[in-house]
Amino acid sequence: MSVIAPNFKFSEFVKSILDNAFWMLLIFVLIGLPAVFIALFYIEMPVIDGQLLTPFLALTWLADPSRTIPILKAFMSTDLFKIAAFPGFGFAALIAAGTIFVERKMLAKLQLRVGPFYCGKFEGILQLMGDGLKLISKEIIIPAKADKPIFWAAPILFVATAAAFVALIPVAPGWVVADVDVGLIAVFAIIGFFPIITILSAWSSNSKFPFIGGIRALHQMVSFEIPLILSLLGVVILTGTLNLSEIVVSQSNFPWIIFLPIGAIIFFITILAELERIPFDLPEAESEIVAGWLTEFSGMIYGLVQLGTYLKLYAFAALFVVLFLGGWTGPMIWPPFPEDIITNGITIGPITAKIPGLPIFSQEMLNGVLWFVIKTVGVIFFILLPRGVFPRIRIDMLLSLGWYKLIGLAFVNIFIALGLLYAGVLGPGGILQ
Amino acid sequence: MADVVFLALSVITIGSAIASLEFRSLIYGSIALMGTLGGIAGFFLLLDSPFVAMFQLAVYVGSIAVLILFTVMLVKRELIFKKIEDKRRKFVGIALMLIFITALGSVIMDSGIKSITTDEPAVDFRTIGADFLIYYWPALILMALILSGSVTGALVLARRENVENDQRTD
Repeated sequence: MSVIAPNFKFSEFVKSILDNAFWMLLIFVLIGLPAVFIALFYIEMPVIDGQLLTPFLALTWLADPSRTIPILKAFMSTDLFKIAAFPGFGFAALIAAGTIFVERKMLAKLQLRVGPFYCGKFEGILQLMGDGLKLISKEIIIPAKADKPIFWAAPILFVATAAAFVALIPVAPGWVVADVDVGLIAVFAIIGFFPIITILSAWSSNSKFPFIGGIRALHQMVSFEIPLILSLLGVVILTGTLNLSEIVVSQSNFPWIIFLPIGAIIFFITILAELERIPFDLPEAESEIVAGWLTEFSGMIYGLVQLGTYLKLYAFAALFVVLFLGGWTGPMIWPPFPEDIITNGITIGPITAKIPGLPIFSQEMLNGVLWFVIKTVGVIFFILLPRGVFPRIRIDMLLSLGWYKLIGLAFVNIFIALGLLYAGVLGPGGILQ
Repeated sequence: MADVVFLALSVITIGSAIASLEFRSLIYGSIALMGTLGGIAGFFLLLDSPFVAMFQLAVYVGSIAVLILFTVMLVKRELIFKKIEDKRRKFVGIALMLIFITALGSVIMDSGIKSITTDEPAVDFRTIGADFLIYYWPALILMALILSGSVTGALVLARRENVENDQRTD
């Protein structure tokens, strides 16, 4: 029971919101609407198509789908929509939120626990919302001798860097925020920012556990970046491009995991290490160093770091899908938009509404998004799974794994790719393409 | 538009370069150094060479700056740096820098840089790769040998099998 509101009841909370809405509506009707009409009396409204633009006419137009669908389509082709909603931040945050809930529930089931249960009527489905509300309402405590500017900036930079990573991921044909020619190099450049932000936030909190965790994170991320970059070179050698969309298009016949399984395995292991997930969660080892570099974060600062972590998880899983599993390619299973509606319109009783501009999304795009989400969710599942199974390994084992085994295997993978290229099997001018 | 971006980048690059020298805190100094290196990456982006810009970010900001940060955090500042406030040194340094910049600038201005046409398309990174493999292959092989030699040496030096075995309790 919280101390601030000992008699908190959710029903009364809802009632208070409804009360407020009622009073706002009442005041708007009694004062706002007359004020608007008085103002309209003095303002000259424009005449459009021989009709005076009254508020009623404007509302009628807003309800007319043949006028609103083009506006909607135009909005969806803007950069703002791409950055904020669909292939960018909103879509990724939605998947990240789903990941957090599924992770907690699935780990609980793996370990024969119940997991989130009480929040929401069904299996704790509202737990995530409750946690979010809790994090927003909590006080942000900053250690007394912390370096305040860096301490405040680090979580925001963390989320921003993760969002920049998300922006490079192509979700469906043409649906990518930043379609750059050097996409894969840009990914490497962005990944390089995470250890800096981690070590700066760890240092700025001026506390020993975060600093130990930050140093561990730095070791781990910097040493696993090398096998990560090397493991992806095989794909670049075979496709001859660095653009992520072109890499996806090159896999229309078969995904690269068939020919480069070693590279895929190395990349998966390095993903686990870069995301600081079990068995490589040394920077956040909660049984050794409290919570590692997250120890001093509280309230919404912690929430931001968590959001960034899960955005990063989605981005890495999506990158695996794009590079090795063929991205959005897959058999066409999405049903086509009914021709009848396009040609004849929708008939409801006596009314026939012809709506030009449908369908809003093309069949290829919806099918691509469906396949992309299915594959990404599968990869995320495999990233989550080790957390319920494996113990944490020692840091010397981690570093020797990264420096000796993975780098050696990455070179084996590069030689396989080169062999396939020079044998004329794959690549530009190969037999299979 | 590009002029505004160019001016902003220049201010960021030069400002953070001065800041990285002038900050008392070493951490803030290295953050400012990151700003300088990132600003240079921005110049490369303006010059239509995103490939070099991304490598600038990945190598300089992502690795070199991290190494500097790491080193700075592991040493105690008071042990290696003494506070020397010497105005004359500062002015001599500034004068040297101005002389150097004017000399370099006059050399660059006298070279053929003014006759370069700026509206040509950006150089594809595939062309860079092909040039490396066709015209500059001896340099490439030399670099590869030096790099692989140094990496192997680093791995050998970092290997401490005996010490590690002694430290184990089991």
